[in-house]
Amino acid sequence: MFFDLNIKGSSLNNNVKLANEAAKYGWSHINFSYNQNDFKDALDFKDELNEDLSDISFDYTLEIESTNVNEIRKITNKFRNKASCISVVGGDLKINRAVVENIRIDVLSRPYLRRYDSGLNHVLSKEAVRNNVAIELCFKDVLRSYLSHRAKVLSNFADIYELYRKFDFPLVLSSRAESVFDIRTTHDFISFFKQTGLGEDEIAKSFETSKDILEFNKNRDKMILKGVRRVDDEA
Amino acid sequence: MRLKVLPPTLRKNNRYLTLDIKIESPIVKEELVTIIWDACIRFQGENNTANFNLWVMKFFEFEKIDGYYHYKAIVRCQRDFVEEVRSSLALANKYNGNRIAITTIGLSGTIKASQKFI
Repeated sequence: MFFDLNIKGSSLNNNVKLANEAAKYGWSHINFSYNQNDFKDALDFKDELNEDLSDISFDYTLEIESTNVNEIRKITNKFRNKASCISVVGGDLKINRAVVENIRIDVLSRPYLRRYDSGLNHVLSKEAVRNNVAIELCFKDVLRSYLSHRAKVLSNFADIYELYRKFDFPLVLSSRAESVFDIRTTHDFISFFKQTGLGEDEIAKSFETSKDILEFNKNRDKMILKGVRRVDDEA
Repeated sequence: MRLKVLPPTLRKNNRYLTLDIKIESPIVKEELVTIIWDACIRFQGENNTANFNLWVMKFFEFEKIDGYYHYKAIVRCQRDFVEEVRSSLALANKYNGNRIAITTIGLSGTIKASQKFI
């Protein structure tokens, strides 16, 4: 099963085009990501989108873009029940720290963004494990960059892999495709991450992690505490 | 005078990749050759690309859809370097200022078998 939790959502027509292309290239589930301002509008045409797409399952990710820690917390609490996945765009150290410490957030997206380092260290990694916050790496960051900048992004990936192998925090790989020009086949996607130094089993695990996030969030409201879930059937 | 053909045991083992190409401007086969070599050299470097044994075997044109030109091609590469070639081609992003997307939709051991992906 191939899951992509971050495909940039836009209009209905564009979403349909992207989803059909993704289905053709072997993806089984995609999440369209919207920021906090567009998320409500996107929910309005979700049913319509559902009717148009038959080959591939889809859902919405709320992608929070903010530099204010309190704002992130408030937005998370506001949308927690409406979004199947909540991710926060990282890059700022304060944001990275606040996100990995927040159990209500699912994904810290691109902790290396606009930085000279990976944006993660052993402290943040341990917090990510404790609060089950996944770290997301985007294919588009490599695709859209070139030469020295691309090399630096790849170097940041390698640093994150090192921490991942030691601390085993959840890792999510996504494309963050904006148009049909950014979507690749699942095999190409895997080949690319293999070339950057990730093992085949680690890549498979990252798809599993994406699936687990969606599964977990379906039952999140029934969770009393970690590991304890309220069940309705008496048998 | 042509060189004598190598015995099968000394020949290189090839794999044939079927590529799906989308680009904003029209291209010809020669331009695809440049794009493929540039993509491989950029991501894998000159030293590694030397091992790939790249060759564009066939080039197919399809009709323009949704604002982009659509092509398919069969490209030969050496058996042990398929992953390297695939990832390099996937990272091709622009050609002459126009957006391009190359993705591998099929992999096989013969040209004939790779044509079923066209």
